[in-house]
Amino acid sequence: MNLVEKILARASGREKVAPGEVVVANVDSLILHDLSGYITSRVFEKEVKRKMRYPERVAMVFDHHFSPPNEERARILEENRAFARRHGIHLFDCGSGNIHNVAVRNGFVRPGTIVVGSDSHTPVHGTLGCFAVGLGNNSNAGTVMPFGKAWFKVPETIQVKISGQNKPGVCARDVALWLTGQIGEGGVVYKAMQFTGPYIKELEVWDRWLFPLITIDVGGKCSFIEPDEKTVNFVKGITDEPFEVITSDPDCEFADVWEYDASGLEPQVAASPTLGNVKPVGEFAGAPVQWAELGGHGGGRLEDIRQAAYILRGRKIAPGVKFNLVPSSREVFTEACREGLVQLLHEAGCTWFPPSTGSNQAINMGAMAETEAMVSTHARNFPGRNGSPKAMMYLGSASTVAASAVKGCIADPREFTV
Amino acid sequence: MIIKDKVFEIYPDNISAEQIAHTKHVNSLTPEGLAVAAMKDVDPDFLKKLGNGKIMIGGSNFGCNSSREWAPSALMYAGVELLIAQSFSRIFFRNAINIGLPILESPEINEYVSVGDELEVDLSTGEIKNITTGKKTQGTILPAFLLKIMTSGGLLETLDAER
Repeated sequence: MNLVEKILARASGREKVAPGEVVVANVDSLILHDLSGYITSRVFEKEVKRKMRYPERVAMVFDHHFSPPNEERARILEENRAFARRHGIHLFDCGSGNIHNVAVRNGFVRPGTIVVGSDSHTPVHGTLGCFAVGLGNNSNAGTVMPFGKAWFKVPETIQVKISGQNKPGVCARDVALWLTGQIGEGGVVYKAMQFTGPYIKELEVWDRWLFPLITIDVGGKCSFIEPDEKTVNFVKGITDEPFEVITSDPDCEFADVWEYDASGLEPQVAASPTLGNVKPVGEFAGAPVQWAELGGHGGGRLEDIRQAAYILRGRKIAPGVKFNLVPSSREVFTEACREGLVQLLHEAGCTWFPPSTGSNQAINMGAMAETEAMVSTHARNFPGRNGSPKAMMYLGSASTVAASAVKGCIADPREFTV
Repeated sequence: MIIKDKVFEIYPDNISAEQIAHTKHVNSLTPEGLAVAAMKDVDPDFLKKLGNGKIMIGGSNFGCNSSREWAPSALMYAGVELLIAQSFSRIFFRNAINIGLPILESPEINEYVSVGDELEVDLSTGEIKNITTGKKTQGTILPAFLLKIMTSGGLLETLDAER
C-alpha cells in the first residue's frame, strides 16, 4: 500500500484498503475559515443538533478577512466567534495569517494523520505526509464534528517524479506553475498524486508545499510527499504532539508514473482566464500591471519576501504600481522584521498588509476595475475573482512579481538576478 | 432507484463549481436563492430549459475547483433530477452525494445521448437506456454505502434515520 492507503486503512481499523473502496475513517484535524465557517456552524447547530465530539481537533481561522470591511461581514465574524466559544474549538482571529499556514504553524498538521477542511486547497497538507482533503459542510458538520469521522473513497495514485535543477532566476513556484499546465486542469480527476524525485527531495518544506497546493486545480483529490528527516524536524520544531510517520511500501504500485525534468525551465507566468494558460514569462513580458502582490494560499512565505527583497534592494517600484505584501503568518512577519526586510521593502515603495490570505476573492482588499491588472503569487487567476471579470491576474514567482513591480509590466526576473 | 425523464441540455468539460453557482448571483442560501443562481453564467436559459426535461449532461471534470456545497444544491433546487457527466471533480461528487442530488458518471455518455432524448436510468445497476434511440450504455456503479446516502436524500437525512 502507499502512504494514503496506509493512513486510510489505519484510521478505519482495516488491515488493507484498495482504490475504489469506501471507508469510514477517524479524522485528526478539521480546519475551517471565516468565509464558510458560519455556514458549517448553522448546519451543525440547526440540522445535526449533536455535541461537538472533539473540539480540540477543530480550528477556525479568519484569513479572508484581516478586518471586516462592512457591517454584514462584521456580523458573520461575530457569528463565527460565538460558535467557537460555544463549542470550545480553536479560533485564530483576524490578523493570524493564511488558514493553511496557521494550521501548520499551530501543530494541526502532523505526518500520518487525516486533515480535512472546508477550503478547497486543504490538500496542500499532504506536504507533511498526511491524507488531506477538502470536504463540504454536510461532511464537516454531519460526521466530522459529531463523530470525529468521515467517509472517503480510496483514490488511485499517480506517481509524479520530478528531476533536474533550476537555472538561476527560476524557482520551485515556476516548476509548480509549469506542472499545472503539463498535468492539465482535469488531468488527475479524483486521483491522488505522490510528488517525488530528486528535485522534490532537495527542496525545503515550504518550497515542497507549492506542489500539493496545485492538487485541486488539476482536479486531484489529494497529494502527498513521503515524509523524511526534513519533514520530521520541521514538525518537531512546531509541536510536541506525538505523531507516527507513515511511508509508502517500497513495492507499492501506482496507477501511472509521470516523469518531468525541470532543468531547462524558464520563469513561468499563468495568465487569466485559467491556470492552464501558463507560458514562459517572455510570452507575457511588457503587459502592464498596476498591482503586484505576495499573498494567497501559497504566497507571502518568508521565501517569497526574501526573493522580493533581493530584487528590490536599492530599487523602487515603478510609479503607478501598488505592491501589496501579505505575510502568510505572524511568525513570517516576525522573521521579516528581524531580517530587516520589512523596512527595506517599505522604503522600496511596497505596502505591508496584516497576515491573512490577502486579496483572495477580494473580500477586504485587492478588488480591481476592468482596466487593471495584477501580478501575484496567488493560487488562482479565474476571471472575476478580484473584482471585474475583465481585470487580468498573472501568477508568477515572487521574483517575477517583484521584477514586474519595478518595471510596471510583466518582466523576467533574470534581468535583476542573473 | 430508477429515473425516467428527458435530457434538457449537454454541457462542455470543466464547468467549475464557481460557475455553477457564482457567489455574485447567490443572494441567499435558501432553496429559492440557490435555484435562481444555478448555471446563470454558463447558460442564461438554464431554468427555461428545465421545462423540457430533468436530466442534465455534463462533460469531464464537472464541478471543478471551488469546494462550495451549494453548487450541487443549486442544481437540485433548480429542479435537476439526475446529472450524468463523463467525470466529476471529487469535491462536487462528494457534495452531490451528501446533499442527495442523484449523479452518475459515464465516460462515454456523449456518444449515446442528444438533447431531447428520453432516458431510463437505474442508479443501482448504472444502466442507462436511451428510450428514444434504443441504445444502451453503462455508468459507474456507486458503492452501496454511497448509493444509500444519495438515494435517501443525503448524509444528514441518513444520519437522522439512524438516530
